[in-house]
Amino acid sequence: MLGELLDDLLTSPSTGPCITATRHFAPRPPVLVPFPPSLDPRIADALRARGIHELYSHQAQSWELIEKGHHVVVVTPTASGKTLCYNLPALQALLLQPDARVLYLFPTKALAQDQLAELEALAKTLPEMRMFTYDGDTPQDARRAVRARANLVLTNPDMLHSGILPHHTKWATLFQNLRYVVIDELHAYRGVFGSHLANLLRRLHRICRHYGSAPQFIMASATIANPGELARRLVGEHVEEIAESGAPTGDKTFICYNPPVVNPDLGIRAPYLGEAAKLAIRLLRARIATIVFAQSRLATEVLLTSIKNGVADKTGDSGIVRGYRGGYLPTRRRAVEKGLREGEVLGVVSTNALELGVDIGHLDVAVLAGYPGAIASLWQQAGRAGRRSGSSAAIFVATSAPLDQFMVTHPEYLFGTPPEHARVNPDNPFILVNHLKCAAFELPIGPGAAGGEIEKFGDVDVRRFLAALEDEGVLHHAGSRWHWAAETYPADHVSLRTVTSDNFVVIDTGARDATQTKRRQIIAEVDWGSAFATIHPKAIYLVESEPYEVQELCWREDEEKVAYVKRVQVDYFTDAISAKGVWILQRLADQAHPVYLAEQGEVLVAEKVVGFKKIKMGTLENVGSGEVELPQQEMQTTAAWLTVTPEALARVSASREELIDGLRAVTYLLHHLAPIFLLCDIRDVGSWLGDTTPAEPGAVATRESTKRRLMSAERFNPTIYLYDSHAGGIGLAERLFEILPDLLRRGLETLHACPCRFGCPSCVGPVNEVGRKAKATAQALLRTLVG
Amino acid sequence: MQSLDELRRVIRRIETGRPPRLAVPPADQVLGGELVETGAGPLLVVRREYPLTHIHGRQPLAAAFAAPLDLLSAVARAAAPARDPRGLLFLDTEATGLAGGTGTYAFLVGVGHLDGDRVVVAQYFMRDFDEEPALLTALVPLLEQAAGVVTFNGSGFDLPLLETRFVLARRRWPTLLPHLDLLPPARRVFTLRCADCRLTTLEREVIGLEREDDVPGALIPALYFDFLRSRRAAPLARVFDHNRHDVLSLVALLGWFGRALAAHDHLGAEDLAGLGRLWEPVDLERALACYRAALTADLAGPAAHRVRLRLARWEKRAARWDAACALWEAARDHDAFDREPWEEIAKFHEHRRRDLPAARAIVAQALEVADTAGAAPRVLDAFTHRLSRLERRLRRHR
Repeated sequence: MLGELLDDLLTSPSTGPCITATRHFAPRPPVLVPFPPSLDPRIADALRARGIHELYSHQAQSWELIEKGHHVVVVTPTASGKTLCYNLPALQALLLQPDARVLYLFPTKALAQDQLAELEALAKTLPEMRMFTYDGDTPQDARRAVRARANLVLTNPDMLHSGILPHHTKWATLFQNLRYVVIDELHAYRGVFGSHLANLLRRLHRICRHYGSAPQFIMASATIANPGELARRLVGEHVEEIAESGAPTGDKTFICYNPPVVNPDLGIRAPYLGEAAKLAIRLLRARIATIVFAQSRLATEVLLTSIKNGVADKTGDSGIVRGYRGGYLPTRRRAVEKGLREGEVLGVVSTNALELGVDIGHLDVAVLAGYPGAIASLWQQAGRAGRRSGSSAAIFVATSAPLDQFMVTHPEYLFGTPPEHARVNPDNPFILVNHLKCAAFELPIGPGAAGGEIEKFGDVDVRRFLAALEDEGVLHHAGSRWHWAAETYPADHVSLRTVTSDNFVVIDTGARDATQTKRRQIIAEVDWGSAFATIHPKAIYLVESEPYEVQELCWREDEEKVAYVKRVQVDYFTDAISAKGVWILQRLADQAHPVYLAEQGEVLVAEKVVGFKKIKMGTLENVGSGEVELPQQEMQTTAAWLTVTPEALARVSASREELIDGLRAVTYLLHHLAPIFLLCDIRDVGSWLGDTTPAEPGAVATRESTKRRLMSAERFNPTIYLYDSHAGGIGLAERLFEILPDLLRRGLETLHACPCRFGCPSCVGPVNEVGRKAKATAQALLRTLVG
Repeated sequence: MQSLDELRRVIRRIETGRPPRLAVPPADQVLGGELVETGAGPLLVVRREYPLTHIHGRQPLAAAFAAPLDLLSAVARAAAPARDPRGLLFLDTEATGLAGGTGTYAFLVGVGHLDGDRVVVAQYFMRDFDEEPALLTALVPLLEQAAGVVTFNGSGFDLPLLETRFVLARRRWPTLLPHLDLLPPARRVFTLRCADCRLTTLEREVIGLEREDDVPGALIPALYFDFLRSRRAAPLARVFDHNRHDVLSLVALLGWFGRALAAHDHLGAEDLAGLGRLWEPVDLERALACYRAALTADLAGPAAHRVRLRLARWEKRAARWDAACALWEAARDHDAFDREPWEEIAKFHEHRRRDLPAARAIVAQALEVADTAGAAPRVLDAFTHRLSRLERRLRRHR
């Protein structure tokens, strides 16, 4: 059935030409080994009762390494039985040592629930198993019971951070007897979240030391380039890596699908969401179980609507397709998961929420509507379709963004590149200082029990941070230690998912309850960094494709950060106009190339939203504009930048204007391609074409005024900045600096491959923004730079 | 000095060290206490004594030590802290914050106990964080020797806080210490007459004590942090006064409860009503007697309304219909509009007396009164519903 449908896709004149690559993965038989002799017979019996008579080789290998006392990280594909790698030693410890405790960490509450169910099924016949989840959903009155009874606690980093570590005395028994810490979905802890986790684990280590335990870490990760390194950075100690999977895989086909070009001049392709929906509808009508991954909440809703319309039966029932994303209530998500496992739900449209290991059984086809931003995520999502036997397929539908177009036109890259490095920067000073505060709250910071030097945080000597915190009045030095000396609860002010924690809430002023009384209804949250660009006064803010107009934005230091909005009927959306500036604070590294100088270091990025454009939905015409009065936001972060020599510039063009347009085009391209190398979201990186010697430090400028200044500058020194969007940096700039030559090469390849004439959103940006000559100039510039 | 190098290091350390603090008079002198050696370092203890005849507000301290503890424990539904109140420890802590968790310290612990014919209030104070071991060490024998601990909101605050500090210091916390928290019984008794149930409110309204120049509790952590940085102890004197007052008020409050449980002829109408609430789960007949006494003593306003309805519910359950009806009628006639007495009277006529016309008349009148009183739509709807049901039944009967 699936085979016929795929053949039809490949050969039919409407879809065949869109398919840029097909790759076939042959099935692989399992590598099985007998149960290790040290495995408790009661556990072996429980496994047999579940139909498991042997272990996959990686499961046996991790058992052995854990038995020897190593920390381990298991890196094998989706559905390879990773969970047994940690469940077996955990259950064994609980069986054999009555006092032993085990802590499981999952990035989301849903995963913890899921794993609890799986553990309970496995441990049904075993004595002494007291397993509970402990998270924001645990009722207050049940918490005490969990603390007292549980010997296996499943939680998430946020709860460990704000609910468990600051109250470690209530968990004294757990910390005294902590045998294993299990961290699943390790690859999810990259960037900001990972940098926070590393610091959270530093805090966990301190508390364990205080109670005299030294737990072993068992981690599991999807395929990324550097699982061992990531695990070591997070745990701070040596970790053994297990990468060879012994699990069988079925036969699998991977298809790259590029929507057809409908306007060759402007380089406009058919909308990818429509194409993805069409594919999904064909599959579902053929009763093929399908998961569709969308890249945003909005895209999920749009796709769901059109797929439901496409598969509805005569009675209009389209219940065989469901949506799944973060904003849905837990009960609704559980129902969808169950429906998928039991086959009542045939199709699901999801954000990356289902990319993680929530148990939804096995599906036949995964449709990836848009490149998920990383090779690792791509394989993770593709892996959601696939049975251990039988065939399955994954179809990647490209958007018109440069990154997607690069991938879909360079399938050899897609298939041949090892997945990305997951980067963390536990020593980001902003993140570190926040965790130091939490650490001091938990236990005064000072010399260890044996005396001597003051304890370190990872490898960082934190004395200067402590002194600064004392000056600030939150720490107090007494005896040989620093104590928390403030009334506040620091964990409440640190969110693990962002660098700074000042979020805006969006409140619908028109909300009424059942009796028509006004009530305060929060409809969204916007982080500080993107607030001014998305919820400035008069902005149109979309929630589930419903437009709201911002009436007032409260941003001052002494007030609650709120945007008041009202539901409106409009046919336009708004696009903020901002002025920006980047100033170099400190050069940390440089690398001279024949025609350009690459540098890396710390910069100050200032940004100010000065106005907005109104853009008509559908036609995207500019139908008006407005001005806003908002403060300038400044951020210290890390960046990589490159400056082209005047001689090289002169060789490309004699016109400054052409060069500026061309460099801008290169900036756009490099920014959009950078996530390929960084395993990050496009929003994690910022870009700016500026000048190494700006005239007025601290004064921001719009694109137009910067261009004017560059045009009239005495010395023409344009510089392309690529910076880390998270204050203090999370390690992206250092990597950008390393891979800059590669990035330039990829940029040139993308330009060559792009079929548009003058530039399009898939390469250098829309032609009406960058100018008609930009693409040609950019190509010439990149040729010079690549050499 | 072993070598020149070492000397240089010492000098450098002195040179680069913290600037010397300005000379300020030591805390023990300013606060009028003495430094006690605890075995884990010195600790400042401020001790004051009061004769049993001391009157705190309007309450003699002596009353606490004659309180019927078994009764009080029963009504407070707490483990009995011994039979003899003379071994009790009255405890109140001042903390560096209300947030809870391991970063909140109890920097001042005030305890009161009886010593012969005097009440001793001893306040244990850490002059800096590194004196916490001394503070905890000093508390151990007090807690171990006490027959029980009396607190105000100790279950929610003081005891978990101290337990956290003990566990954090890896010391054994006496978990089985009998504890009488006066907050829950105070909530039952005083909600009728006090705006809130904070200790300072009860002091004013119940104990009859008006504190002068009292430091607001919310300022206390900041005062302590200021002291840590400046070493000037004088502003802390008010914190010590505040804490000492709290401890004495605990003694006085226990005395109040003791007297009220032993006999209640001296109490006003509101306290009688509150006492009824206290007795209710333990001794229903005593509770009802209190309610009746409260109404006889001319309890008025919303408090009277609540007591009438509460009493009526119990009378109804005991099938004392005349008494119940009298209470509902009083509630209907004297108090602001409330659906309950009307409904109960209507139900009484409909189901007990099987007098449908009387029931209908009551409901019709209720609907009118409710409408005039501007009752909520769902109340009006409930009466309308009841009225039409009665009319249906009346038609069927005809």
